[in-house]
Amino acid sequence: MASEDELNLLVIVMDVNPIWWGQQAQREPEFTLSKCLDAVMVMGNSHMAMTTTNRLAVISSHFQDSHFLYPCKNWTGGDGAWDGTMDEAPYCGDGKYELLSVANNVVAEEMKRVMSTTEMKGNSTDTLLAGSLAKALCYIHRMTKELEAGQEMKSRILVIKTAEDCARQYMNFMNVIFAAQKQNILIDACVLDSDSGLLQQACDITGGLYLKIPQKIALAQYLLWVFLPDLEQRPQLVLPPPVHVDYRAACFCHRNLIEIGYVCSVCLSSWGALSDPVHTGEWGGPRANLLHGLCLLTFILLMLGFLPGVQLVEGVFDVHHDGLVVILQT
Amino acid sequence: MEAPLLLFLRVQLQCKNLHEYLKELSPEILDKLYNHPATCLAVYRELPALAKNYVMRMLFLDHPLPQAALALWVKKDSQKYHDECVSVLTSLRLWHTQQLQGGLQGNILNPIFKDNLRIALLGGGKAWSDEGSSIGPDRHARDVGSLDRYAMERWEVILHFMVGSPNAAVSQDLAQLLSQAGLMRSDPGEAPCITSAGFQFLLLDTSSQLWYFTLQYLNTAQTRGMDLVEILSFLFQLSFSTLGRDYSVEGMSESLLTFLQHLREFGLVFQRKRKSRRYYPTRLAITLAAGITSKPSSSSNPMDVAPGTVDTSFIVVETNYRIYAYTSSELQIALVALFSEMLYRFPNVVVGTVTRESVQQAIANGITAQQIIHFLRTRAHPIMLKETPVVPSTITDQIRLWELERDRLQFTEGVLYNQFLSQADFEVLRDRAQGLGCLVWQNVPHRVMVVTQQGHSEVKKFWKRQKSST
Repeated sequence: MASEDELNLLVIVMDVNPIWWGQQAQREPEFTLSKCLDAVMVMGNSHMAMTTTNRLAVISSHFQDSHFLYPCKNWTGGDGAWDGTMDEAPYCGDGKYELLSVANNVVAEEMKRVMSTTEMKGNSTDTLLAGSLAKALCYIHRMTKELEAGQEMKSRILVIKTAEDCARQYMNFMNVIFAAQKQNILIDACVLDSDSGLLQQACDITGGLYLKIPQKIALAQYLLWVFLPDLEQRPQLVLPPPVHVDYRAACFCHRNLIEIGYVCSVCLSSWGALSDPVHTGEWGGPRANLLHGLCLLTFILLMLGFLPGVQLVEGVFDVHHDGLVVILQT
Repeated sequence: MEAPLLLFLRVQLQCKNLHEYLKELSPEILDKLYNHPATCLAVYRELPALAKNYVMRMLFLDHPLPQAALALWVKKDSQKYHDECVSVLTSLRLWHTQQLQGGLQGNILNPIFKDNLRIALLGGGKAWSDEGSSIGPDRHARDVGSLDRYAMERWEVILHFMVGSPNAAVSQDLAQLLSQAGLMRSDPGEAPCITSAGFQFLLLDTSSQLWYFTLQYLNTAQTRGMDLVEILSFLFQLSFSTLGRDYSVEGMSESLLTFLQHLREFGLVFQRKRKSRRYYPTRLAITLAAGITSKPSSSSNPMDVAPGTVDTSFIVVETNYRIYAYTSSELQIALVALFSEMLYRFPNVVVGTVTRESVQQAIANGITAQQIIHFLRTRAHPIMLKETPVVPSTITDQIRLWELERDRLQFTEGVLYNQFLSQADFEVLRDRAQGLGCLVWQNVPHRVMVVTQQGHSEVKKFWKRQKSST
């Protein structure tokens, strides 16, 4: 059993893409955004009911920004202490544990506010998932800083994804994933509609669970059965096995997922085509310094040994960073 | 070698936790207890983590689950955790076995427990207590800081009374409770004085003290004519309340109101006057829930540190056996002086050393080394908390060694048999005693043996028969 000083923070990131949810309401009227929010709140309540040291945060992920549904700025209590700053006491009126009742009311209010006030700027219809994950990581980092002496905190992020992946967010996503891995933060993913390669990679790298739900109505049951057990219990329970991950990288020039491409030896960025120079740099003939080139080649081969499933095919010179370009195959 | 009788008995303070207490209750009382969402939530929080997951999974199932399916939930090498969970859930009557249609055995959650846990998590059902909206906002509202001060002040009066400070006075009820709990001994006509169990109680951390005290109170509750179920439910409800909010006393029965007055004396709630219609739970009441899981080896509970009140993390222990206690509270100084030798005293610091004599004297009073170490660990200064281990291992090891020094000798009471006339007599009696299992020690060349007290009468009868037959 975890000791009393170990806090367990669960951050739930909900994808509230209005376009997807609007279409969903027409496809399957029995599973709407409010039902999904109910399931998420059940999961959050169960998590907080487990011990006094469990903490919760809920973030909604929209087009251009992400909002904290709980805890939010209007409500200052974080550990159950009542500061008396709210005008009216949260009156629960039924048998629910008071802390959970307050949390649920706050989440519902904030969600209504977010959905009704966010405006549509620009024409991108993709959810800003990488941004929400980054916000979650910042929140976790802040909570870790605010711990008292002798306390430790274990955190994980649960992503509930609905809309399609956005290839434009690839770089930011990968940065977030590696930052989470460094901080030992698990990323779990619960996917409602279509498989997401980015989230599969995230779960694989950080050690979390990826699950595509066959029946959306049973979302609450899946959340409680699969995603509620925390880090100590997961090795003991039988949970869904890891899926085969698509590790293709997205190229920097067009953001397509590529299997064969060009890699700059200096910054290790992958490119789909040589004929589209993005950075300043002249395209000239091969450089004179062959020894320089051979050193770079061995360096790259060593580096490539760490990337999974990648093999060297052919090498060519380029002047993007005055370096060597090699062609990879995943 | 059979177990020797210890001549020197030490009374150990038994700190039960919630589950052990509940297992002792009868099944009818347990079922009545589970009728309140607060109790279900408190019991749920006490379960081992794997059992919590099991309960969560079964919370929304209306049909029994085959036991074979349950066994498939865990991996092969975690089978012992599964067995532990099954035994805990069964002993607390949280689930029943039911015969399924195929003749298999199935498990289903106790329906009362299931319904009330669902209410606690998701809503519905009756409110736990009437919210304060009917009496309006409090004109004399108290903030968290003053509540903390009040709570610590009341609790310290009790501890001061136990130590014997002259200006600490508690009610007759409370003094009687302390005597019944075995913490104090009151000879007729004299003032009560503390027992060795009382010393051990003083060294515990606040949450364990609270819980021990509450358990003793509950044990005497039935003799006072109070309803155990009602009191326990109210206690759990209190432990889940929000600090700083006031609650109304509407709808509370007579026995609950009496109970509230007792809690007021312990410092668990604050009420401006006896007839006030609202009360504020203090941090101690909320700590009660956290203190239920009494884990003596855990480091300081964050609930113990009440901001702005008497600091309960004030001890610095150095590897040269010096203790610096940054406190001016008489009680804390008296506690530290129980097992250390005081050297200097300043307005805000007390300096002492832990010596062999001081520790062994404490042990002679009935305190164990584990309790001393637990005391140091739970009151460690935040600077000490940054080190691992919190208390230097030299100190902990040395305290334990000093304790072991007293255990080099074991006393066993017995009866000596000697001056046997022949070796054959000795051997016959010795074999008989060994056969009965009461032989403690023998010395064959000197024809001397020692037999336990209980075995002595048997062996004597045998010897008399032997003598009269030869």
